[in-house]
Amino acid sequence: MTEKRVLNCIVPPHILAKLLESSDAEIREAAMRTLLTTMRLQGEREVRATLLGRAAPAEGRRTVYDCRHSTFLPSAVLARSEDGASSGDDSVNRAFDGFGATRQFYLEIMGRNSIDDRGMRLDGYVHRGVDYNNAFWDGQEMVFGDGDGRIFSDFTGSLDVIGHELTHGVTEHTAGLEYHNQSGALNESMSDVMGCLVKQWTMRQTAEDADWLIGAEVFTPGFDGDALRSLKAPGTAYDNDTFGKDPQPDHMDGYLELPDTDEGDNGGVHLNSGIPNHAFYQAAVGIGGYAWEAAGHIWYESLRASTPTTDFQAFADTTVGKAGDLYGSSEQDAVRDAWDHVGISVSSGTARRRPPVSVPGGNGTTAEVARDMDQLLAQVERLRQDLHLPA
Amino acid sequence: MKLTLVESGGLAAGLRLGRPPLVLDLSTLPEADARELADLVSVARQAPAAAESSRRVPDEMSYTITVDDGEAQEALHRSDTTMSQGFAELVDRLHRLASSG
Repeated sequence: MTEKRVLNCIVPPHILAKLLESSDAEIREAAMRTLLTTMRLQGEREVRATLLGRAAPAEGRRTVYDCRHSTFLPSAVLARSEDGASSGDDSVNRAFDGFGATRQFYLEIMGRNSIDDRGMRLDGYVHRGVDYNNAFWDGQEMVFGDGDGRIFSDFTGSLDVIGHELTHGVTEHTAGLEYHNQSGALNESMSDVMGCLVKQWTMRQTAEDADWLIGAEVFTPGFDGDALRSLKAPGTAYDNDTFGKDPQPDHMDGYLELPDTDEGDNGGVHLNSGIPNHAFYQAAVGIGGYAWEAAGHIWYESLRASTPTTDFQAFADTTVGKAGDLYGSSEQDAVRDAWDHVGISVSSGTARRRPPVSVPGGNGTTAEVARDMDQLLAQVERLRQDLHLPA
Repeated sequence: MKLTLVESGGLAAGLRLGRPPLVLDLSTLPEADARELADLVSVARQAPAAAESSRRVPDEMSYTITVDDGEAQEALHRSDTTMSQGFAELVDRLHRLASSG
């Protein structure tokens, strides 16, 4: 009976926070051990989800439609649903599986329940138009083209592209970064970063081993180049007679001032994203190990703390602050060095000081409670180190 | 009549930036193709762009087709989420004729 209680009963967060702050070392340690036991049994993120009162997985139900080469989405036909059989069409199955991998990544790694964190449905449309060389997120659904077969092939082919598009939805539901100039380049960069992480997590690749390419699989063998973009080496994804050289800068010195028009790519959102992209790569390699762990969490929490008009400098400041809040000085140094590497300097005075841990109350929004939980988990980690307990 | 198509944006915006526009002079085409294109242009002209949302749509492409009939120029500007099916058909036909020509 006692054991069952340990397994099923989770101390409410506000009580836990008080216990962890107790002046009595024994009480602190008891609270700590309770939490660690539960975490080991269920996994930290699941504990977090439970604390937030969420149901387990099975949300973000997937549906894939076949446009049958029309550009008019309402005429598309159902091709595969969450509980339905797999399709005879590889594009349909790749979109479906890519949605699943991305959904699982956000749930398990980021503690996020689908795009809107409330189990939003994941709808995809494949075979849009004729020879359509693109994929996009329209605020409600993901749309994929087949490519022209000469340069581009099917856009469902790259898992990082699927993660990229769904992350546009996540950004829309969090910071809402405006899609132009620096905030737009950050929006693009966040999609590239999370797209890479979905793929690396699926393949269990370390930062060192990953290729850090976006869209390597959306090209035919007829394309002389590696991919659409590279986070490891922006500006080197391709260099050929047809398309010239990859124009992405990897440093503020190369920042491209383009007009804020369609023709100017809204101020170069797909180009200047190379700068924050490379900062993430540098941070991930600097910290080492799996990029979706410390570096990925720091970036995701910084996205959640950003606003529609956040620029490169403000985002850099936030990541350095979050690295200190959530991890420690070595991670913070790695993140600061990463931004320094791309020409954005974050002084130690600029980075936000760690705020005092507030006790989660009963009236906060889910987002507020989630933020409180992050701070609480960071506090737990520091306490764990104080007590020399195993991780 | 001369038609010019400029495509921009999209996931592969970097590859499209600075690429030369697609230009088709209808007088150089077989008569049947030219007539069909002219019909598609008038259909595309008649369908207005759907109302754009206040937010820009990440990774959508945009298209500007300039129609030059020798006397006046008219630019039709549409995006993946605002274009009519007729406009999409015109873009598709321009691609096909340009790659076969």
